[in-house]
Amino acid sequence: MQKKMDFIKKHKSFTVFAILAIALALVAIFADKIAPYDPYEAILTDALQAPSSTHWFGTDKLGRDLFSRVIFGSRISLSSALILVACIFVVGSVLGILAGYFGGWIDAVIMRIADMMISFPGMVLAIAIAGILGASITNAVIAITAVSWTKYARLARSLVLKIKNCDYIAAARVTGSTTSHILSVYLFPNVMPTLLVTAFTDIGSMMLELAGLSFLGFGAQAPQAEWGLMLSEGRSYMMAAPWMMLYPGLAILVTVVVFNLLGDSLRDVLDPRD
Amino acid sequence: MKRISRRDFLRGSAAAALSAAMAVSVSPVVTEAASGDTLNFGCYVYSTSFDPAAYQNAAWQGVRWGITECLFKFNDDMSVEPLLCDTYEVSDDKMTWTFHIRDGVLFSNGDACDAQAVADSLNRLFYVCANSDDYSSTPAGYIDMASIEADTDANTVTIVTNTAVADLTVTLCFPFYSIIDVYGDTTDADHAGGYATSVIATGPYALSSFDATTKSGSMVANENYWNGEVPYSTVNVTFIEDDSTKALSLMSGLIDLTENVTTSSDLATLEASDAYYVSKSSSLRSGFAYINFDGVLANDALRQAVRMAIDSETMCNITVGGMYTAGVGILPSSLIYEDENLDNPYAYDMDAAVALLDEAGIVDSDGDGIRELDGEPINLTYITYNNRCLSDFAQAIQVSLTSIGIGVSVNSTDSDTEWMLMQAGEYDLCDSNWTTVGTGDPTAFLLNWYGGTDGSNAYSSDNPDGTNYCNYDSDEFDALYEQFTASTDTDERNALVVEMEQVLVNDVAVLLHGYYNSTMISNASKVTGAEIATFDYYWLNTDIKPVG
Repeated sequence: MQKKMDFIKKHKSFTVFAILAIALALVAIFADKIAPYDPYEAILTDALQAPSSTHWFGTDKLGRDLFSRVIFGSRISLSSALILVACIFVVGSVLGILAGYFGGWIDAVIMRIADMMISFPGMVLAIAIAGILGASITNAVIAITAVSWTKYARLARSLVLKIKNCDYIAAARVTGSTTSHILSVYLFPNVMPTLLVTAFTDIGSMMLELAGLSFLGFGAQAPQAEWGLMLSEGRSYMMAAPWMMLYPGLAILVTVVVFNLLGDSLRDVLDPRD
Repeated sequence: MKRISRRDFLRGSAAAALSAAMAVSVSPVVTEAASGDTLNFGCYVYSTSFDPAAYQNAAWQGVRWGITECLFKFNDDMSVEPLLCDTYEVSDDKMTWTFHIRDGVLFSNGDACDAQAVADSLNRLFYVCANSDDYSSTPAGYIDMASIEADTDANTVTIVTNTAVADLTVTLCFPFYSIIDVYGDTTDADHAGGYATSVIATGPYALSSFDATTKSGSMVANENYWNGEVPYSTVNVTFIEDDSTKALSLMSGLIDLTENVTTSSDLATLEASDAYYVSKSSSLRSGFAYINFDGVLANDALRQAVRMAIDSETMCNITVGGMYTAGVGILPSSLIYEDENLDNPYAYDMDAAVALLDEAGIVDSDGDGIRELDGEPINLTYITYNNRCLSDFAQAIQVSLTSIGIGVSVNSTDSDTEWMLMQAGEYDLCDSNWTTVGTGDPTAFLLNWYGGTDGSNAYSSDNPDGTNYCNYDSDEFDALYEQFTASTDTDERNALVVEMEQVLVNDVAVLLHGYYNSTMISNASKVTGAEIATFDYYWLNTDIKPVG
């Protein structure tokens, strides 16, 4: 217990942002308990009502309660961003570690593919891929994964190159350790902290990219409660019903800030120089 | 030298970017503010050509901008007003029409717009459209032409048709048949493009420049205009694609006049202010969804329940903010057809819709919230595109139908993709917004539901000339349509139109959203007389004048 208290005292900002991130996750998990209305229930005659005690965030063009939609939006926006980061983390890290450790043609093939991917503007390529696959949040995740894994691959490769000729790796080899053992026991844990910090810091930006695709019509589709899509739906009503953009925008802002700062503070926690 | 920290650099960069963004965002759409006899008009530009033979949008654009004119013109009540023609005669068999061209009319370059010029213009239109792939207007689709000849002494043009025509004057109102000077385009070193962008005609304004890249241009007053004084010496026309941008440009004073702001909230803002005058009128357009009879909606009970579950009145008045007017028949109620006689047996009644589905055995047996038909959960494919509030209707219909256990997947795409999907039959509901009586009657429009002998008008890849894209097949409708096209008696034709509308209503052959209301919005302190016409190929005219 004392150790935990010491950790919290030493890493206050990490603790605060971790609690906030957990709170956001809890909002998504218990959305159906928190939201006062069904986010998909439309009462057409209640369209575009301003925020009030009945509808805290007002209603949208179809008379749906915006507060409930923002709360339920956390499910799609948060889960899809986390899945996306997990995908690019796993794909990028594995390929990067393999490229770095084995070198040769494996390295050449993986890194040339990575070079090809980053030679295009990321968002434009993602729009093209999402456009070909068809508009849906799943395809948006696939599209952004396809253009974002390269960052992790290059990072993991460079980290592996840095340590693969260290004495302890050589020692492992001469003592008969198998390749999979070296990769999983020596290499992976050593590159993990940096990759993990990068992943946490990326949650916010990935969420923005997903929201961007949805805003442009390549991600979530109506009537899904997704923040980027809600922003897009509210754009036409920006002057007459600004709450339609304000609250989904704030939800994105808060979530992105929390996860960005969580990533920053996690970097401080894992900083070996500390 | 002071070292700039990363934070300072980022802060400075952000400020610079913000300033640049603001500078760009407030860059004037037009560089010249409205003053005196200059009109700044912001509008959607559908075409980079003004040649009536090029394609339909080009023909419309010449008329919309006040450059080209036809022999006749529609009034808002669908009556026809003489324009370049002042009198006409028709033979008893209604196949020979002789039009006297108004004396003294000149093109904007000073050439005479006499009978010979009119005949040459019309002959050129029919010739190039029939003989060149570069021209896709379809003048022969509305007039089965035999000959067009000029009598220069009498200043008359005689048009002979192969079949009797009830009233050729209404057809000649259509912009395809606008008259241009085929000998006098202004192509020179500074004006390339022939008729496309250097067209010469008789309207109050003459095109002085047009940039196909920005789709914007300017016009000057036609010094030879035959029908009174032209109020503006210069008209700058700026292409504005986005509706909110149109509204904001008007409010910021960058433009004086705009058309068809279809975002209901923006329109409401403009209507609420005394600074702007909003002219709103029921147009010739109907917003509707095709129903694919080659799919799950072939089931009568399901189709009827769908119709009853949709509250068109609320959708028109609230969801799209009055941009549409609800109705029963597929043709706008503002037209001459006596649609007050139409009866809708499937008016909005959610409870009745649920009861109908239950009685028909279309129930949710697995408890997933979606009803099943023939053991399969119902999931309608609804294709739409973002035009004139159609996607708003699609979403509202989606939530309405979902609430009674009918699943709907909305695919909001672009108009070209939607058209391809419709032709491929990959839809249950397909949104459209069509001009219903563009040539004065609904002959072409109602072909959408005409099956023809043995389905000869049903569209398929083997029958690309078919115009019935929804596989609707009704002997009753087909018989009425054939009677309608064969008749030259106006009263009988009008009555038949109402009968055909009733058949479509009874069969729930189409899902009507409402009748589209066009708008023209002007800066009240600068412009007067800006009224939107029912026929939305009339925009600029000499009634639009500077205030004072």
